[in-house]
Amino acid sequence: MLYKILVVDDEAPVRDLLGDLFKKEDCLPVSCGSGEEALTILEKETFDVVLLDIKLPGISGLEVLKEIRQKYTDLPVVMITGFGFDEELIVKSKQLGCCGYIGKNMPVAQIIVTFMQFVKEAKERGSAS
Amino acid sequence: MNGGSIPLSRLYHYGNHMKDIYTHLIENAAVLMLYLDHHGKIALCNKQAESTIGLKHADIVGRNWLEVLFRDTNNIMKRDMFKAVLDDALTYKRTRDFACHLLGNHGNLRLISWNITPILDINNQLQGSILFGQDITEIQERENSIKKIDDSLKNIISSINEYALYVINLNSLITYFGMGCETMFGYSKSEIIFKHVSILHNLNKAGPELDMILECVRLFGKYESEIDLFTKAGVVIPVRLTVNQFLDAFGKLTGFIFIAKDITQTKKLEYQVFQAEKLAALGQLSAGMAHEINNPLFVISGRLEILKQEELTPKLKETINLIDAQTNRIRKLVDRILKFARKSTLTLETVDINEIIELALPLVNHNISPSVKVEIKKSFEKNMPKISADADQLEEVFLNIIINAYHAMPDGGVIKITTRNFQDLYAQIQITDTGVGIPAADFKNIFMPFFSTKGQGTGLGLSICHNIIKNHNGSIELESQVNQGTTFTIKLPFI
Repeated sequence: MLYKILVVDDEAPVRDLLGDLFKKEDCLPVSCGSGEEALTILEKETFDVVLLDIKLPGISGLEVLKEIRQKYTDLPVVMITGFGFDEELIVKSKQLGCCGYIGKNMPVAQIIVTFMQFVKEAKERGSAS
Repeated sequence: MNGGSIPLSRLYHYGNHMKDIYTHLIENAAVLMLYLDHHGKIALCNKQAESTIGLKHADIVGRNWLEVLFRDTNNIMKRDMFKAVLDDALTYKRTRDFACHLLGNHGNLRLISWNITPILDINNQLQGSILFGQDITEIQERENSIKKIDDSLKNIISSINEYALYVINLNSLITYFGMGCETMFGYSKSEIIFKHVSILHNLNKAGPELDMILECVRLFGKYESEIDLFTKAGVVIPVRLTVNQFLDAFGKLTGFIFIAKDITQTKKLEYQVFQAEKLAALGQLSAGMAHEINNPLFVISGRLEILKQEELTPKLKETINLIDAQTNRIRKLVDRILKFARKSTLTLETVDINEIIELALPLVNHNISPSVKVEIKKSFEKNMPKISADADQLEEVFLNIIINAYHAMPDGGVIKITTRNFQDLYAQIQITDTGVGIPAADFKNIFMPFFSTKGQGTGLGLSICHNIIKNHNGSIELESQVNQGTTFTIKLPFI
């Protein structure tokens, strides 16, 4: 297994698709539909990376990111959103400490490649420090 | 006793009674009364004369009238004129009027309007004359101040060009056409006086519109609303029109006073604010919509990607490729929508506007058909001051407008690009084509998202341009004539 990934998205078809795509990449996806659920899961399990949707019901993706950063300093988080490359969102996500940002409007194959690249770089940075 | 006859004693008594009444009337009348004998000496004077002249009875009676009335030696000319008028009245035995100042009881000048009546005996011989005088000082002062106000109002009205004041009579004919009117409507006074006021209104609805306005003034005393009026050249001017009753001194309606304020600029600003608000609302809506489309689109594309890796029949492969192509089309459209909706942050740098246009021009070739013959004429101002702008975004604006110009000329034509330094305030860029033009009715929608005059356009190009220019504190406007061409004018402030 390459990475254990926590996939957080409120839409089940999106979660299922990402799950299937990651399985093909020899990863272990665990998915949930809200920020609250994600924080509960993170208390019980460890992950290599979190793929976090920005627009979530309840606490938003950016708020979840903030909390993860405080509790799990080294856990890489990649943000994903249907809003595409919104500069304001990118800047905010970076400031809160995400290691990557993906727009759902990118071609799917590119999404997976980019995600894997982000995680690889984050892991390398982590092990270097 | 015979009915109707009066005893002599009663008549005598009655006569004395009447004499008392006349004496009382003369003594207490609110007008000055002087009786002059035929030598010009004052033989009688009443209380009002004593009080106004400011001398006692004894100092008046028996003296020459000119000495009494013209103690003010500065008034010799008036004195001589009054004497001439009196001589004329006496010579020709007729009544004459004359007005002059006399020195009053407190040393102040009073303006008196005199009436001179010669007194003749039964043989038509001159006995003397009576001078009735009315103190009109206050009346004259009131009239003067009214005239001053009137003059100032006339001056104010003449000097304010955004207002037009005109008056019509009860037959709706223009009887007064103020200075502001000539500037606003383009008619001279001489050509419009006594013309029907409907000349300034929309000919198709002038009748009912005017009837409604005047009826409203008759019923409520006033009409106030925003309407469109028309100049001599047929140009529409939006105005705030106030119409009041024009009453004469007796309160009788004699016409209507129209005051029109040109609100073209206000309307323009209101429209710009409205457009900006509408675009902002549309931006928000579009962003939300794009997000909602992106999620299912992502699922469709992802599932297609997985399907593609399966063993498929050629027919199924073809179908999947078709679905994939159409999904990509939707994705590109959603990207454009998001681009329009986004409040992109500007990466500002000091740039030369001429250079940006030069950089955009080669990119046009990738987006147009090479078979269309278009000549590009450039007229760039040399040594143009720099502007602070996001070069990539401005490049996109020029690219968009130039491609639009190409599309407007399917049979070829000329694109003229000029840059100009406007008084060191802003750079003005004009892009003119000789294409099909845009109908006037479409002007107000041209920068709205999803509005397109081209069959296959997304209708987002110009709205994105509009947003970019607005984010640079600039402006973008267009002028166009069907079958003659279109000019886009962009203004960007210098640093």
